[in-house]
Amino acid sequence: MEDRVSFNTDEASVTVKECIEGIIGGIDYNQNKVNQWTASIVEHSLTQLVKQGKPFKFIVNCAIMQKSGAGLHTANSCYWDTATDGSCTVRWENRTMYCVVSVFAVAVTC
Amino acid sequence: MNLHCKWILYTLTAFDADDVFGIIKESVEGTMGGNIFQQNRVDQWTSNVVELCLSQLSKLGKPFKYIVTCIIMQRNGAGLQTASSCFWDDTTDGSCTFKWENESMHCIVTVFGLAI
Repeated sequence: MEDRVSFNTDEASVTVKECIEGIIGGIDYNQNKVNQWTASIVEHSLTQLVKQGKPFKFIVNCAIMQKSGAGLHTANSCYWDTATDGSCTVRWENRTMYCVVSVFAVAVTC
Repeated sequence: MNLHCKWILYTLTAFDADDVFGIIKESVEGTMGGNIFQQNRVDQWTSNVVELCLSQLSKLGKPFKYIVTCIIMQRNGAGLQTASSCFWDDTTDGSCTFKWENESMHCIVTVFGLAI
């Protein structure tokens, strides 16, 4: 009998939060560096998630927005196996920017 | 399996970004076209866009799981940067992003398709 592992959202949230704070904690929004930050956050988060060795495909999405009073709204919808697949979203902010990271994990059946 | 059969299997089972692009474009233009950014309606718009996309995608009848994300941002000069990174099967899985804007807002929709 196969053991179906389901996605652990709490563990993933902690992993992602640590990645964000490691990369942009204590830094102000900088237009020249922001693309470097989003790339680092997604790659670092993905590496840490894959290291956990669980049988999942992962998608990590990161948005960084400067705080200037603009409204930002995000939504996502998923068509998958609710017993094994899952997602988690981490919202983080400091004085000058918002960062929203979403992780989607889809179970691999082979 | 000969090469011709492999090609057919690939086109039937790999993620088709062109089909998906068309679906996203219709969903976004149908929901947002002609509207001005309104804080009390943006919630409804993001939900509509993702739900419309997902129902059209599932109608394609392909053996895929889908994730649709939608971002709507008011235009007031703020900077927005997004990135995504994926750990999947390169030969079958894929993504497609559609960016739309009018005078008052930006909308970015991404569809990720993962083969079952």
